[in-house]
Amino acid sequence: MTEQMLVQIAMAAVGSLGFGLLFHVSGRRLVTLAFGGAASWGVYLLALQGYGARVPACFAASLATAALAEVLARLLKTPVLTLLVPMLVPLAPGGDLYYTTLALVRGDMPDFARYGELVLKEAGAISFGVIVVACVMQTANKVWALARERKE
Amino acid sequence: MEQEEQILCAILDAGETLLVSGAEVARVEDTIRRMALAYGFVRTDVLSITASMIVTAWTARGATLTQTRRIVARSTDLRRIEAVNALSRAVCAAPPPLAVLRERIDSIRHMPEEGRWQLPLAYLLVSGSFAVFFGGTARDGLAAMLCSMLLYAIGRAGARIRLQPLVLTVVGAAAMCFAAVITVWLGIGQALDKIVIGNIMLLIPGIALLTSLRDMIVGDTISGLLGAFEALLRALAIAAGCALVLLQMGGAA
Repeated sequence: MTEQMLVQIAMAAVGSLGFGLLFHVSGRRLVTLAFGGAASWGVYLLALQGYGARVPACFAASLATAALAEVLARLLKTPVLTLLVPMLVPLAPGGDLYYTTLALVRGDMPDFARYGELVLKEAGAISFGVIVVACVMQTANKVWALARERKE
Repeated sequence: MEQEEQILCAILDAGETLLVSGAEVARVEDTIRRMALAYGFVRTDVLSITASMIVTAWTARGATLTQTRRIVARSTDLRRIEAVNALSRAVCAAPPPLAVLRERIDSIRHMPEEGRWQLPLAYLLVSGSFAVFFGGTARDGLAAMLCSMLLYAIGRAGARIRLQPLVLTVVGAAAMCFAAVITVWLGIGQALDKIVIGNIMLLIPGIALLTSLRDMIVGDTISGLLGAFEALLRALAIAAGCALVLLQMGGAA
């Protein structure tokens, strides 16, 4: 692991914690968010080495983070979204959104298309990861409820 | 107003508090339904989208009451969501008299802002850390923090004069971008792109996008579409604000 990766993971933790503050999260949940943000970027870096491409790495990280957020939300008895959004923030394509705009302003159409496509694909990959986990959770909840009903 | 109307009004206030604090519409509808049931309404039909709430409740005597709400501004506040959840659980266990219910809901709606330092600190942490995260130096992080304070001030002022969120995003992005240019010109910051990106992370519509996804998955398609489109518009507004400044510089950055 390079020094740059460690810096990124540390900064992801601080950034997620900051986002938690924005949403009025407090106490030990903030610490959880810092850990979650670091974990989400850690998974991204690992997946990036495995896949060698950013979009599938985004998907893998989003999948892992969404699953982690579901577990933590149950442990901490808090709405999933308030944990999930700050934890996913390091994956958000804020940088590529800027470079897309910059390319457009410069009239550099090949770059505009390349970065614009990246923004859409990364946002899509993050969304897809969240959707997959939400579908799995909904199915598991319904099956669980049915099983409990049968038992009674 | 009759007692039952007042109770329904108080319940709708609780739902509205949830909605403006960033709860999913499924949670809002569920809370209203449960609370109404606890107060003896025999049937409750609720439709909530992110912009509006409609509820019709049947009383035990067979009369129907209908109330609607228009929802304008939303801002995520976990404390309020949790407080309403707790109130809803308490109501379902043993519904308190109307006066007590009204008082508890009002105390949640007018919950004081915790420390004045909290939001500015959040802005500093997010902008500074992401400027470095995206490859900036410590000086870029510092410059990003300075710009984020301007963004915070504009956000406060915009909320006070009730500026539309989209317009506020354009204005905020443009001002932040301009401030970033100045920090580089003054020699505080080095890489303009990293400074701006650190602050863009404060504006990205993450909660709008993810809430809309979850709305769609549980079947609230209208709210989901509204939210997804809102997220897209927000992203375009950020780009537009930055482009305004970058264009003046001839895209030199």
